[in-house]
Amino acid sequence: MNGRTRDDAPRAHRSVLMETAMALVRHRVAFAGLVILLGLIVMAAFAPVLAPYDPNEQDLYQVLQGPSRQHLLGTDDVGRDLLSRVIYGSRVTLAMGILSTLFAAVIGILAGLVAGYKGGIWDAVIMRITDTFMCMPALVLALVIVAALGPGMKSVVISITVLAWTGFARITRGQVMIVRELPYVEAAHALGASGYRIMFRHLLPNVMAPLIVTATISVGMNIMLESAVSFLGIGVQQPTPSWGNELRIGYSYLEIVPLFSIAPGLMITLAVLAFNFLGDGLRDALDPRLRGEEKAGS
Amino acid sequence: MREYILKRVLISFAILFFVSILIFVLGRVLPGDPVQAALVASRMGPLSDEVIADVRAQFGLDRPLHIQYILWVSSFVQGDWGVSIASGERVLDMFMHRLPVTLELFFGSVIWAFIIGLPLGIVSALRRNSWLDVTVTTGAILGVSIPVFWEGIVMIYLFAVLTHIFPPSGYVPLSESVTGNLLSVAMPTFVMGTHGAGLFSRYVRSSLLEVLGQDFIRTAYAKGLPRKTVILTHAMKPAMIPVVTVVGLTWGYVVAGAFIVEYMFAIPGLGRMGVNAIFANDFPVIQATLVMVAVNILVVNLLVDLLYAYLDPRVRVQR
Repeated sequence: MNGRTRDDAPRAHRSVLMETAMALVRHRVAFAGLVILLGLIVMAAFAPVLAPYDPNEQDLYQVLQGPSRQHLLGTDDVGRDLLSRVIYGSRVTLAMGILSTLFAAVIGILAGLVAGYKGGIWDAVIMRITDTFMCMPALVLALVIVAALGPGMKSVVISITVLAWTGFARITRGQVMIVRELPYVEAAHALGASGYRIMFRHLLPNVMAPLIVTATISVGMNIMLESAVSFLGIGVQQPTPSWGNELRIGYSYLEIVPLFSIAPGLMITLAVLAFNFLGDGLRDALDPRLRGEEKAGS
Repeated sequence: MREYILKRVLISFAILFFVSILIFVLGRVLPGDPVQAALVASRMGPLSDEVIADVRAQFGLDRPLHIQYILWVSSFVQGDWGVSIASGERVLDMFMHRLPVTLELFFGSVIWAFIIGLPLGIVSALRRNSWLDVTVTTGAILGVSIPVFWEGIVMIYLFAVLTHIFPPSGYVPLSESVTGNLLSVAMPTFVMGTHGAGLFSRYVRSSLLEVLGQDFIRTAYAKGLPRKTVILTHAMKPAMIPVVTVVGLTWGYVVAGAFIVEYMFAIPGLGRMGVNAIFANDFPVIQATLVMVAVNILVVNLLVDLLYAYLDPRVRVQR
């Protein structure tokens, strides 16, 4: 019996994956998100090829220029090519959004598994900690933490991780509490599986769907948070180009070269939008009930 | 119900306790010794270690940590929030001075969120899966995804730099000029409000859809009531309950948005005070801001929970 379920598992898994992928393509909004996201990833991956100039090359004779044939988006306050800086900025911004989400997901899922599965005092303590973080405004806490650690990319990633894990913990815990009462978990208990095995082999795979949705949306939120911290000037520091700090400097020249702040801001919006669209589509795609409904509707 | 209230209040106090410890610890971790900062601010020149030790004792910083914590909490509760390192003002006074400005921003943005979000949410629920519904739900994601600082920049560019309809930044108190006041808060409240409207319309839509699928709605139609009556009196009321909760729970985002919006539009409210305090390493002000925001969110969450339990008796029995 054990052997048969093992044989069946990958096949079932693959079909779920296929169905999810199909549902995503059908879901127009999610598809749009996917396209934007792919564009951004290509931009980040091929930045040296795509960027017409070195993003850090200054030309003090050509500061604060409007769009021209040499500089499609114009130049910044020290004569660097804006287009190149926006292209390179995708690397920093995407990397930070994805990294902090990964760290937060690992910590949050572990905490949520323990809280949901062990219950009792574990649950009480972990949940009160998440409550504590949840009643503090993320941005302010992020600012304070970055101020404490000193500005820079590392501090921003740490501060966002510290804030973002609570969402993962809560959702994992809620899902685990539902799943752990199911007969198959009881069966695993009866067969003498260890708590560790039950948590990682039996519970975790069955609570993944909402976590994938959370992670996708979380990347967008983290990009927004990172940009906000950089916009206020204590996040990623110049000369490293990030969309948030470009926007910050560009903002003070809004009347002379509007694109200086509007272009990086548009990129932030597109990135956040892509992850939100995708998350929204995944939520529908991964929910079998909704999938059936959509089929019936269309 | 009384038991439920008691339980919720106790939990809130427990969370507040954790919050206060977190803020206290942050205070010790932040760079910049408050004593040094205060002495530098008072320009007393180079100081001997003895003087520094003296001042430390005066601030209670030579005591053990848990005593410092108790002293801090008890003075905070008594309204002694310390003195700003940057300006020398009493923090409580600074706070009270700026509170009305932030409250005005908040109410303004809630009004925008309602005006935009509520009708759109209702319409998209009633015309489910139509092009209108798709547009509204997509627009809602857009509203939530646009960072307030970018929306603010675009609005300033369009309506202040290009067309001069609104002032680019600044705040005119209501006592000075009513129209001036309204013009100065129009853009910032709109920027905060569109974000809220995005969230709001989504929740109104899904909540209303759920209610519309229930038996009593069919009964109402069956007994021949007009569509308008069914939707406005039978469906809207139960549909709004979860919406209230969600609005309460997203309150934290509104507060966070105020920090950026006030900073951008140079509005002298609590958010700008908090951001400037972080720039200046002005810890007494940062501390008070964090505590008050946390208390604020806790109280709103508590009220929402209680309201929810009052409106929906099933909640009281759960957990």
